[in-house]
Amino acid sequence: MSPRRTVHRIIAGREAGTALGLIVLCVALWIATPYFATAANLSNVAEQSAIVGVIAIGMTFVILTGGIDLSVGSLVALVGVVIGSALQRGWPVTGAVGLGLMAGIGAGAVNGLTITRGGLPPFIATLGMMSVARGGALMLSDGRPISGFPDSLRVIATGHALGVPAPVVLMLSLYLVAYVVLTRTVAGRYLYAIGGNEQATALAGVDVRFHKTVVYALSGLSAAVCAVLLLARLNSAQPIAGIGYELDAIAAVVIGGTSLLGGSGSVIGTLIGALIMSVLRNGLNLLGVSSYLQQVAIGSVIIVAVLIDMALRRRVQRSFR
Amino acid sequence: MPVVNSIRRLLPVLGVALLVSACNRGGDSSSKPTVALVVKTLNNQFFIDMEAGARAAADSLGIELVVHAPEREIDVERQMQIVENLIQRQVKVLLLVPNGSKEIVPAVLKANVARIPVVAVDTRIDAATLAAAGATVTSFIGSDNEDGGRMAGRFLVETLGGTGMVAVLEGVPGHETADARLRGFRTALAGAAGMKIVASQPANMERDQAFNVTQNILQSNPGITALFACNDVMALGALEAIAAANRTGSVTVVGFDAQDDARKAISEKRMGATIAQNPREMGRMAVITAMRLLRGERVPAEQPVAISLVK
Repeated sequence: MSPRRTVHRIIAGREAGTALGLIVLCVALWIATPYFATAANLSNVAEQSAIVGVIAIGMTFVILTGGIDLSVGSLVALVGVVIGSALQRGWPVTGAVGLGLMAGIGAGAVNGLTITRGGLPPFIATLGMMSVARGGALMLSDGRPISGFPDSLRVIATGHALGVPAPVVLMLSLYLVAYVVLTRTVAGRYLYAIGGNEQATALAGVDVRFHKTVVYALSGLSAAVCAVLLLARLNSAQPIAGIGYELDAIAAVVIGGTSLLGGSGSVIGTLIGALIMSVLRNGLNLLGVSSYLQQVAIGSVIIVAVLIDMALRRRVQRSFR
Repeated sequence: MPVVNSIRRLLPVLGVALLVSACNRGGDSSSKPTVALVVKTLNNQFFIDMEAGARAAADSLGIELVVHAPEREIDVERQMQIVENLIQRQVKVLLLVPNGSKEIVPAVLKANVARIPVVAVDTRIDAATLAAAGATVTSFIGSDNEDGGRMAGRFLVETLGGTGMVAVLEGVPGHETADARLRGFRTALAGAAGMKIVASQPANMERDQAFNVTQNILQSNPGITALFACNDVMALGALEAIAAANRTGSVTVVGFDAQDDARKAISEKRMGATIAQNPREMGRMAVITAMRLLRGERVPAEQPVAISLVK
């Protein structure tokens, strides 16, 4: 492939508009405040993006198939409480974390089964799970936070590898795996096909129900990984944690240019989307913008980002005609 | 290269963004020291009043005050992010109303490392967790809840003329704020031989639970003439249970927090009294404490904020 075509492909890629948005935002903040473009702050922002960034991976998979997962915020709380109680009962860290990850996968698989076998719309199935998981977390913990965890668990939030915070390393590795799965494996291509035209994909002999169930299980898994991060970060498992995370994750996916209708999008876009939200929140804090105005700003960015992305894509399509 | 052209067309937008942000810089680089107040949420009147008190003090002292809060009172993680961002902004003092007394400790530690003094306001930061993490809080500014409890107790002793059977609605077991109120209340009653606490049960700061618990107490101890609830929400629930039993007026109810509904009940003579905290004063004292820290002065580790009886 000629260099020019490679450049073309990058510019024409789904991520172009989003990446440009992130760059503009960063340059603007770099000029607006001396505190933004410091190594310490950039590492701080990256670390902050990890929480929602990790859930957004699973959410991207789900949305690519044309679904939605509203239960992830509650699953973060449930998994956190499962791990917290296991540790309180004297479980080793690896065992407790393993149990938590299994709980996340299990709850996600239940979502998948009620959708694919029970025929429920994803919105309803995961809305139900959202309430069930929240109630479960409250029951398991008696409504009280569980705090004080061993350092071997906390290192996930506090550790560094080559100067990069551990949560960032974890997030980027997961994005790399997700990127390879979506672009280099048959299963990954099936997800796009399912989101593009589910019936046609089924007629082509793909086990759509199986793949969709796995996708929801993976979404549960990414919520569980987020729970581990949160647990390590706050040194506490809270039954009321994660409220609204599902919406933040959906926002990151949508800002990243993935279509809510399914069939098109990428995890790289989602990563950039998650970074945009963190950079924006960070920048508004650095600039001392009022908390009320911040909410307006974040909402506006979601809308503007998608508008720019759509406009850019239309132009690209026209230029290739 | 139409694609490149379309990108090129976006360049003016980029230029405008840069211009706008360049203008912004002037405002940010003022010479005033910046102090941050981070509260639990800004959709609760208590914290809006606290902000107003802090702003007034900051304006008169020539301090640049930034006030931030997560959208939801329960969002510990978002509050932690705000604190981290303010550390990056190199604020000089951090005035903090923690959403989670234990959960915020890692952020306090980060502020300590950055040599930014942390002052806890209204809600204490858990001492044991601080010690375990090796983090420190310079000062605590908040209501003396124990004193408020004493005030409530003395009011009942005076109102009932020193004799009576008293019921108590406790808060969440183990919750510091309500426990302190209870301690003060019991101390005040211990001084009056004729006053006796005949029932003391938790209703978890909730209105419906207070309703049920009060109904049960009225069944088991129909002779009670007074009831103290550790917050107004429970006091209001108790009032309803008392009204349902047709006992309005025969039981003097005292609450805590001076909520609007409680003030209204007091003015309608359905409720005896409540204890008012002063968030505005907390905000003012917090900023003054920040000023003293900026000057390098020592500040007391405990700074109680005056509270008052509303009857």
